[in-house]
Amino acid sequence: MAKPKVAFFDFAGCEGDQLQVANLEEELLTLLGQVEVVAFREVMKEQSDNYDIAFIEGSCTRLQDEERLKQIRKKAKLVVAIGSCATIGGINSLRNDKDLDDVRKTVYGEDARLFDSYAARPIDAVIPVDAYVHGCPITKDEFLSVVKSLLLGKKPDIPTYPVCVECKKNENVCAFERGQYCVGPVTRAGCNSCCVNEGTICWGCRGLVDNPNENSEKEVLIKYGLTVDDAINKFKLYFGWQERKR
Amino acid sequence: MRVISKEDFAEFVNALIKDKSLDVVGVKAKGGKFAFGPLESASELRLDYDVTLLPPKKYFFPQRETLVTYDVATGFAAPKTEGVKPLVIIGVHPYDIVALLHMDEIFKETKSDPYYFEKRNASIIIGINIQNMSKYCFAPQMGCAVIDYGYDLMLTDLGNRYAINIGHAKGEELLNKYAKNVTAALARDIQLVGQKKREILSMSKQKFDFSPELIPELLSKTYEESGFWEKHSEKCLACGSCVLVCPTCYCFDVKDSTDLSLERGERIRTWDGCLLEDFAKIASGENFRPTRPTRYRHRYFKKGKYLYDRFGFISCVGCGRCSSNCLPDIANPVKLFNDMYHETQSLGVIIAPAPEPAVEIQTEGNIDYVPKLATIVKKVPMTANETLFEIKLDDGSELGHKPGQFVEVSVFGIGEAPISVSSSPTKKGTFELCVRKLGNVTTKLHTLKEGDKVGIRGPFGNGFDYEFLKGKDLLFVAGGLGIAPLRSLFNYVLDNREKYGRVILLYGCKEPRELLFSEEMLALAKRDDVEFKPTVNWCPENEVWTGNIGVITTLIPQVSFDPESTYAVICGPPIMYKFVIHDLKGRNLPDDHIILSLERRMKCGVGKCGHCQINQIYVCKDGPVFNYSKIKGVPEAL
Repeated sequence: MAKPKVAFFDFAGCEGDQLQVANLEEELLTLLGQVEVVAFREVMKEQSDNYDIAFIEGSCTRLQDEERLKQIRKKAKLVVAIGSCATIGGINSLRNDKDLDDVRKTVYGEDARLFDSYAARPIDAVIPVDAYVHGCPITKDEFLSVVKSLLLGKKPDIPTYPVCVECKKNENVCAFERGQYCVGPVTRAGCNSCCVNEGTICWGCRGLVDNPNENSEKEVLIKYGLTVDDAINKFKLYFGWQERKR
Repeated sequence: MRVISKEDFAEFVNALIKDKSLDVVGVKAKGGKFAFGPLESASELRLDYDVTLLPPKKYFFPQRETLVTYDVATGFAAPKTEGVKPLVIIGVHPYDIVALLHMDEIFKETKSDPYYFEKRNASIIIGINIQNMSKYCFAPQMGCAVIDYGYDLMLTDLGNRYAINIGHAKGEELLNKYAKNVTAALARDIQLVGQKKREILSMSKQKFDFSPELIPELLSKTYEESGFWEKHSEKCLACGSCVLVCPTCYCFDVKDSTDLSLERGERIRTWDGCLLEDFAKIASGENFRPTRPTRYRHRYFKKGKYLYDRFGFISCVGCGRCSSNCLPDIANPVKLFNDMYHETQSLGVIIAPAPEPAVEIQTEGNIDYVPKLATIVKKVPMTANETLFEIKLDDGSELGHKPGQFVEVSVFGIGEAPISVSSSPTKKGTFELCVRKLGNVTTKLHTLKEGDKVGIRGPFGNGFDYEFLKGKDLLFVAGGLGIAPLRSLFNYVLDNREKYGRVILLYGCKEPRELLFSEEMLALAKRDDVEFKPTVNWCPENEVWTGNIGVITTLIPQVSFDPESTYAVICGPPIMYKFVIHDLKGRNLPDDHIILSLERRMKCGVGKCGHCQINQIYVCKDGPVFNYSKIKGVPEAL
């Protein structure tokens, strides 16, 4: 069987997820035994338009990006969204409840009129997506696990439960007990609670679980001492697009 | 009772640590809390702790554990271990010791779990009587705060020294070999220990407003209490914290993980929890406990009722971990049971202690998680989504199944799925599985070719009682893929036709192109010793259908049967049962003449992992075949 051809694409994002892939180093070489990379701007010059699996990083923030996404969808057998911007709209969505003209002026100053923009959105708001590698940035382990699943013809195993499950298994002291405020109870697991393991909190980069109890989580945040506004902002950081949709 | 000074105890612990033939763990500080962890020195021990983040069960039933390794070239194997070193656990509170004893019972019931017991049997438990009690702890009320069994050694802090109760010869040997200056306890020491134990019993800040022995009966009276479970679980985050930190929770998930070669990998067991959304979800997307209130209720029933009925103990030791880990503060059993008690009292419900359950725990050998290698000898596509696989075990043995039993089918790199056996045991040499393309395993299975290898575990479950059914008239009612398990019995009956009375088969599917075993059905239509009636829900214009059109129940009025001599055998999609049962009862068929085969998420196949549980019943072990009269009162069943 011919090796599947793989291409990477980036939209509005920091390219940190592709960097994680490039950082796979030895494992990347082993993986290359299974696939042929035909486009990956961060690590190679060559580009090809002939691919089977498209990995897309970044969110869609302009109408003209939609056409490019549709072209990718047409050519690829499988489309995989990688990283928060692509999977859930990411922190780009923070701007969505601000006045867009103000946002453009802040970023581009006098040249704002030259730069078109609309509400930031995840890839699946524009084209169907077959698989997701969540995270900001993605973890190498999960990227590999998703790729292996796709190569085996298996639906990637992405948890439907929240980060608390992994925190408990890792025997972490709960962030709330350390006097911090965490959105792990409503955030999709799969990161092995990596941030909390390091003594900090979950910011929610993997997005909400399928059926989050948002009201209860906000009550908890407030019960432990956050103001209502701060609790709402906690949700906005990564859940903006998902909350709007709900 | 013995006594040892604290200095000599530290020396004893350090001597244990120094001996590299032992693993030594104990309670240490962790970020303002406490946790069991490997000891490098006795000075790390914090025996004044209140409660540890996780219970010591993690050493015997770890968060993640390899059950099976596989290699496409060689098949499946048990993981290679270098043998287990004796593990000394220092500082276990009595409630956690009781919890381990519960786990022992659960892991040995019916089939014993070798992975658990290999580690558990090599453990040496050094307990310590509670010095500081967590504010959520209610172990005294559960009778688990002070114990005189289950440990090898039990320490009591007496200021400058520890009193030591010896519970088992293993403990005494340890003392003899590694401890110095152990003396016999004096009368005052014995007296002091007694006093400490009495103090412990009054330490708890949690109070039941009633006797905890009423819990099982209290639950039975509250199962369908309107709004009770919804109200209490309104704030539930379904985060699973309460069950993941529980010392008696044992549910697990099993997943395959492959390496980058895509040809080798491991099958891994991980902790799971019944509070999590997908816990009871099957490949078709059906979720048998889809809402937070139903899952929240299940947790309390499992602890307070189902395990009590099966094992004779309330599976809660009062450690309070669930309460302290629940952010919205809705997991405190004392609070919930008190609310439940007051609610029943206000309704005038009388709660008396439940009669002692008849506990009959038997163990018949070890669980074998390693699948046998098998070959697909024939693959016959039946519809766009269903294929009949004929499978032969590579070691030449017979599957040895009963009609109605199922097997766990493994596909390399993908995982394992429960599939009912479609062929009769009268068919020798091979067996057949009728498989629908639905989840990961069944989808991949469809891409395999004749000659390809799969793994088989089983057969599992009880199967149909085909001996009992001899001489009876049989009315088979099959909906869609429900024909798959029924065919094993149906074909058995046809192969022993003279031993059974009338045989009627009612078979329905959505549309003609979804008809399974169509050639066999054609042959049936020609037999005069079988009455066969098929139906389809609808027939698209481009297809041909001369039979009945309508759902399966439209066939029931078309057959005559004698309710006295007839037994109905039913299998179909979950939605089908109540309608079929309703109509059969309308025809005066007695409840105990209705036999059902049910589908759930059978993961381990041996009544351990918890996924297929319907209230107190394990479908994989107690079923999948049930007499309707026995499960009609089981609310989650139909």
